[in-house]
Amino acid sequence: MSPIKLEIRDLRVSFAGHPVASVPELNVNGGEIVGLAGESGSGKSMTILAVLGLAGTAGAAVTGSVRLDGQELIGLSDARLRAIRGRRIAAIFQSPALAFNPVFRVGAIVSRTLRQHGLSAAEAAARADAGMRSVLLAPELLHRYPAQLSGGQLQRVAIALALALRAEVLLADEPTSALDVTVQAEVLELLRELRDSRGMAVLFVSHDLAVIAELCDRVAIMRAGQVVEQGPTGQVIAAPRHDYTRELLAAVPRLRE
Amino acid sequence: MADDILLDVRDLQVSFGPVRAVDGVSLAISRGPFGIALVGESGSGKTTVGRAILRLVPASAGTIAFDGQDVLGLRGPRLRAYRRAAQIVFQDADNSLDPRMRVGATIGEVLIAHGLAGRGARVATQVAALLSEAALDPALASRYPHQLSGGQRQRVAIARALTVSPRLLVLDEPTSALDVTAQARILALIRRLRDERQLAYLLITHNLAIIPGLCEQTVVLYLGRVAESGPTSELLTRPAHPYTLALRSAVPEVDAAARRSRIILPGDTPRAGSTPPGCPFHPRCPLAIDVCRTTVPPLQAVAPGRQAACHRAADVLSGLRPPGAPAQLAGEP
Amino acid sequence: MSGIGVSGSGRFLRANPLIATGGVIALLIVLIAVFAPLVIPYPADAGAATHPEMALQAPSAQHLFGTDQVGRDLFSRVLAGARVSPVVALFVLLISCAVGISLGVLAGYFGGITDEVIMRITDIFLAFPPLLLALAFATVLPANLTSLTIAIAISWWPWYTRLVRGQAASVAGRPYVEACRALGIPSWRILLRHVLPNSITPVIVQVSLDVGGVILTASALSFLGLGAQDPTPDWGLMVAEGQNYFTTQWWLVTFPGLAILVTALAFNLLGDGLRDVLDPRRVLIR
Repeated sequence: MSPIKLEIRDLRVSFAGHPVASVPELNVNGGEIVGLAGESGSGKSMTILAVLGLAGTAGAAVTGSVRLDGQELIGLSDARLRAIRGRRIAAIFQSPALAFNPVFRVGAIVSRTLRQHGLSAAEAAARADAGMRSVLLAPELLHRYPAQLSGGQLQRVAIALALALRAEVLLADEPTSALDVTVQAEVLELLRELRDSRGMAVLFVSHDLAVIAELCDRVAIMRAGQVVEQGPTGQVIAAPRHDYTRELLAAVPRLRE
Repeated sequence: MADDILLDVRDLQVSFGPVRAVDGVSLAISRGPFGIALVGESGSGKTTVGRAILRLVPASAGTIAFDGQDVLGLRGPRLRAYRRAAQIVFQDADNSLDPRMRVGATIGEVLIAHGLAGRGARVATQVAALLSEAALDPALASRYPHQLSGGQRQRVAIARALTVSPRLLVLDEPTSALDVTAQARILALIRRLRDERQLAYLLITHNLAIIPGLCEQTVVLYLGRVAESGPTSELLTRPAHPYTLALRSAVPEVDAAARRSRIILPGDTPRAGSTPPGCPFHPRCPLAIDVCRTTVPPLQAVAPGRQAACHRAADVLSGLRPPGAPAQLAGEP
Repeated sequence: MSGIGVSGSGRFLRANPLIATGGVIALLIVLIAVFAPLVIPYPADAGAATHPEMALQAPSAQHLFGTDQVGRDLFSRVLAGARVSPVVALFVLLISCAVGISLGVLAGYFGGITDEVIMRITDIFLAFPPLLLALAFATVLPANLTSLTIAIAISWWPWYTRLVRGQAASVAGRPYVEACRALGIPSWRILLRHVLPNSITPVIVQVSLDVGGVILTASALSFLGLGAQDPTPDWGLMVAEGQNYFTTQWWLVTFPGLAILVTALAFNLLGDGLRDVLDPRRVLIR
């Protein structure tokens, strides 16, 4: 039985009294991909921000509990959170270009992040190299500027960074929505790799139910800030219990007529 | 047969400086009701083809004929008349409406500019009718674009395009920016409009899943060239080009039963203008052989009504699949 | 600004103190300008009257702002000045905007040769320091307020062309403009209804900041004898004339100076507020 890496209980995010996301219970185990599915405004992205401890900067109030390996994250000081963010919980977002400052070479950003988390220059270089190879990218690409890399490549560099940091949990917010479908297939394959060979715990947010169906072991469906249904993916898709889930599934276009 | 053709594109080339975004694309759109899909990823040139058809970008070579008449040389009043016959709905509904104009004014403007507007209050009635046709509440005419949802904005864009009663509609990724339920509604709207208005449309998309049920014919583009074309159902069930194979296998499926083994293409979709020698697809192709690296495969018939630009098209059509290599993995857990 | 009914105005103003303050002061200035003859205590002093025996008196009950170097009531002159300096500024800005915005929009939207020609002409004008340019024109024209207005306007319009051209070029590339072209809407319509309204915002803010600048430029020119002439109660002229007395008869410079300051500030605040109001994305408090 894989250990529970991330434990969310009664997480509530609200803006000026208005609730935008409410997750009563969600676990992500090591070696598992859990999906958060929903349309825009469902609160799934806010949930990710809350887990990262970044919801406050957006002006939101967060209550509830998020435990990483048993350690409570909500309410931790900024300094302690910064040590955890990146190092133990990594995140990749929809627009990888936004994660990389266009003025710096990609490698410089990667090594700076690694060193900020305590690695020496030599260690940082070695890990960055290894990380790039794990995502099937030539380490030489680290010398490029973000504008010289494609969206798919940048996304893989972001994953490489998560690997280099030896993060235990990966939060992914629509990481493939802006990518071409063949490139998306590559990145999804990579995520499966991370789950299987490294035992990473992945929380995957997407509005694309088909991607969630293919990738995730378990799924929670969100709508207007509430979790309406959750369970093993195969079960939720084959036998949805909530009307909204049925509505979503009916709307997904099928390739087979 | 030739009488059936509404839009005839032959050997279209569009260049932006040294970059050839469209490199010899031909396609034929029959009179409505008819749907044809133009499929490709970034760098394929599909959006450029759509824009060239509407004279929004200049073509560097090739011909486009609408109803038998040349389109590329049109000017002045005849160009404006063409702009009543062929219309486009853009991908980015958020930005294709002027943020400072109310929805009703945006649509009314088109009526006025083409002299289709009735006097006084009649314009409001016309606008209301168009909004209803696009499944929108006519009361939305007094709203600004930012007060509408993404799906509603896209329907306003569609209503606006319908104002001039076009015979041909180019839909450039009409649902890419929308949630899945909004997408389903737009696709249903397109189906309905097709029947009610006898519309012919060119559906530009990277999402294969929305094509069945909407488009009888499909054209697959790669790096500005046609990879293959033919009737949609045949093309999707029995592809004749390795790229179509990969594209189809990459589409995620909700139903477990529909999932097939994945073909993972190495590398990324190339940028337009970085065409390699020989077949443009060969660097990523899992079935490439020596001739692919040196000779550009011509687009030729591989079956009745079907064309493909691949040296091994006949084999692919017969069932040749990439060998089990480390790059290929099964999608089933 | 449709949608804000009279009944909603009160709440609107309370929620937007910037606009309220700026608007109130600007309104006050306009009212003074309009009703000046009724409000001024010593109307003759705003004109050619001189009372040398009462020269340089400090502020008192009879002369709220004191008297100037030839004995005229400063309060009257400052109030009367509301008809001079702000009006000059108004016309200067109107002319500069009309010329500058038109050229900028044409250059930005059409690009190519049109852009080149317009911008090179603009660059030529911009190469001269505004004051110098205005000076050059003012010397060949007779010295009066009309010439002053024209001279400053000539040196002012290029800045707006620059501002608008960049914005217009950006708007011209936006999807909704492309959509208009695809819809067969004629260029003049696109320019008037889409490009112009979406390019104007930076100019509005700039214009509000320029009110003070124009008044100061006008005062410099008047001081050099090229614009308003004594006894016209131009604020700038009063400041210039009162310079020599600054350390001892401080009121000569201070009150007209304050008038310039307050006017510039009022329009500044108004401009800031206007920009917010004109953005339809802003949630209007109704």
